[in-house]
Amino acid sequence: MARKPPITNRVRELREQHGAMTQAELGNAIGVTRQTVIAIEQNRYSPSLDSAFRIARLFGVGLEDVFSWEE
Amino acid sequence: MPFREKSAWIMSAALSAGGLVYFRPVVSAWSESGELISPGLPLLLTYAGFLVAIAVVGHIVAVALAPNDADAPADERERQIFDRAGHYASYVFAAGIVISLGLYIFSNSGDLLFYTVFTSLLAGQIVEYLFQILFYRTSV
Repeated sequence: MARKPPITNRVRELREQHGAMTQAELGNAIGVTRQTVIAIEQNRYSPSLDSAFRIARLFGVGLEDVFSWEE
Repeated sequence: MPFREKSAWIMSAALSAGGLVYFRPVVSAWSESGELISPGLPLLLTYAGFLVAIAVVGHIVAVALAPNDADAPADERERQIFDRAGHYASYVFAAGIVISLGLYIFSNSGDLLFYTVFTSLLAGQIVEYLFQILFYRTSV
């Protein structure tokens, strides 16, 4: 229960590289709330495969450029 | 704070306060006379009215503070939060029901059965909202 997922991501970094997109803008673009974007960036929540692809496509990169598995 | 987390705070507070309103006279009468008063409709209606009043006023204030958040449907993380919170709360409710049935076998008191089942229902709901708050603030 409430264990931190072993997946890390570069969502915040990519968001800042893309014209300082806000968390709310990213949330609207992929169909989640701002709070969920915050949880993803803080590694408190691993998004669904659907949302993960949406994020990667939005930033024009591959899935593994955004998300990685932390051993 | 997301609208649905605010809602969970409001409902857990309303249910806790409503529980106090309902059980205070019951416990008071029981400690004075040593016997349970029979469950009655007036006390139940008082509880329901109290609960509805707090829930409605609380949600009106929450919506007024963030009208856009209130309109948005639950996203994937929120749906997971509700599912898991409901899952854990179901154990609390089930445990309460099993205890209630056990007590009934030994006491044969329908009044006691009513109060313990009612308490289980209340506790299950409060725990569900508390788990929602916990999951909103930690990992799902």
